[in-house]
Amino acid sequence: MEKLIQIQLTNENNTYNDLSIQVEELTHQLNEANEIIEAIRKGEVDAIIVKNEEKHEVYTLQSADKAYRIFIEKMNEGALTLNKDGLIIYSNSSFANLVNMPLENVIGFNFINFIPDAYRNSVAELMETAWKKQESKGEIVFDGKIKMVPVLLSMNMLEIDGGIALSVIATDITLQKETQQHKKALEKKDEFISIASHELKTPVTSIKGYVQLLRYNFQQDGNTTAADLLTKVDVQINKLTNLIGDLLDVKKIENGQLQYHEEAFDFNILVNEVIEETERVLKKHPIVATLSESKTILGDRNKIGQVITNLLENASKYSEAGSVINVESSVKDNNRISLSVKDKGIGIPKNQLNKIFERFFRVSSEKENTYSGLGLGLYISAEIIKRHNGIIGVESEEGNGSTFYFELPVYNKQEKENASKG
Amino acid sequence: MQAKDKKIFIADDDADILQIIGMILKTQGYQVVTSTNAKDIFKYAAKDLPDIILLDIWMSGIDGRDICSQLKSQELTKNIPVLFISANSNIEEIAKTYKADGYIAKPFEMDHLLERINAFFSYRNFNTRQFNYIP
Repeated sequence: MEKLIQIQLTNENNTYNDLSIQVEELTHQLNEANEIIEAIRKGEVDAIIVKNEEKHEVYTLQSADKAYRIFIEKMNEGALTLNKDGLIIYSNSSFANLVNMPLENVIGFNFINFIPDAYRNSVAELMETAWKKQESKGEIVFDGKIKMVPVLLSMNMLEIDGGIALSVIATDITLQKETQQHKKALEKKDEFISIASHELKTPVTSIKGYVQLLRYNFQQDGNTTAADLLTKVDVQINKLTNLIGDLLDVKKIENGQLQYHEEAFDFNILVNEVIEETERVLKKHPIVATLSESKTILGDRNKIGQVITNLLENASKYSEAGSVINVESSVKDNNRISLSVKDKGIGIPKNQLNKIFERFFRVSSEKENTYSGLGLGLYISAEIIKRHNGIIGVESEEGNGSTFYFELPVYNKQEKENASKG
Repeated sequence: MQAKDKKIFIADDDADILQIIGMILKTQGYQVVTSTNAKDIFKYAAKDLPDIILLDIWMSGIDGRDICSQLKSQELTKNIPVLFISANSNIEEIAKTYKADGYIAKPFEMDHLLERINAFFSYRNFNTRQFNYIP
């Protein structure tokens, strides 16, 4: 009010008209001031900028919606409010940290000053779009203290108390970018495994084909020695083929792409088939099977066969030639069938038992490197059994052999049909 | 009908594979026509229809799946059984999608290959797990 009186005194020569205009002007200013006070009282105003000739003074209001302010202040994203000229009228400390400046050197300054030169044009365009179309989004990279920080800028036009402002949220998307890159790298890896396995299988197909033709010719000529030697070559080729298959299976399990072809099949027939085939190939171990009454299983016959083969091969691999491998099956409560494969081999140390079904895990011992394998077989077996709602496990003692077992639900056709009817 | 009356067309861009499959089938007396270019099947079919076609899926510049679709869309060739033969790990799905009559995964056992081919000529109706041809 002092200021007003001063104006009147210095203008004592004014005419009545001049004074009237002045009163009108001052009344207008007074009304405007009242409106601002009212807006502050209602919490509609966050900050007041006073334009001076030299600089802008910004007054933020401590009292304005404290909870909301704390939330904005504490969030990880940079949050800004810009006025129509692009001046920062509010900034949280996250944005100040992002641009590596104290907060007092951010508020009141032009937003574009904080944007790296290379992005100034695109940010200016983003702002123009937001003013015209209410919102805009774009990615830029800030030169952070330690490393470059990719940032997503989201701009929204706001109407504040009849005026307009631009809210800017600056989100650090380093993690998203890294995740994207990681995903791309994984896709590349998968693609590589697919191509590599195809490329490996092609020459293997030729080798296997020629070996089998040669064996056929030797058999026709009665040269059993040569034919038997070629059978051994063929067994090794099959091992190589299985390794390639394991790598592909792991890739498919990881991506949830392993296909299961469900059918109802007789469990004992499958077990006997696999034992016969394994004995033919391994030859080093007698396999003694004690099977209970057979049951029907609903599942992927080939894959369950793959599990049994894997358990038999492991039993053979980790035990001395000539030692017996026992295969037993039993039926529990008429609705579960279990199969166990028992060897008299090197066994598994107690502290490694829980890791045995992990991917790439191989039992570590002094003789570790004398046993071949990628450490994938049991991992794949466990996945296959889990997918059939079964359980897989092992009992073992170092030096005293291992018993691997799995249990699968029995297929009850009647029950299944009733369930689907009900 | 004897095996010697049966004609099998094989297309694979790998000359070794062609030789191997050709020799395996000849042990049973089948007549074999091989080509590294699957498109030759149309020339061949025009004068002398084969009884079975074995098609590689990925051949240099030619997609066996397209050839299969074309064969199945033409009156002259639509009833000839087509078997995909490939090292592709999704061969079963591909065979189903492109309505091939079966597939042989590489690498294959000589005995299995012969069993499957023989089975085509032995039964009028069969539908096994890995071989889904129903004439």
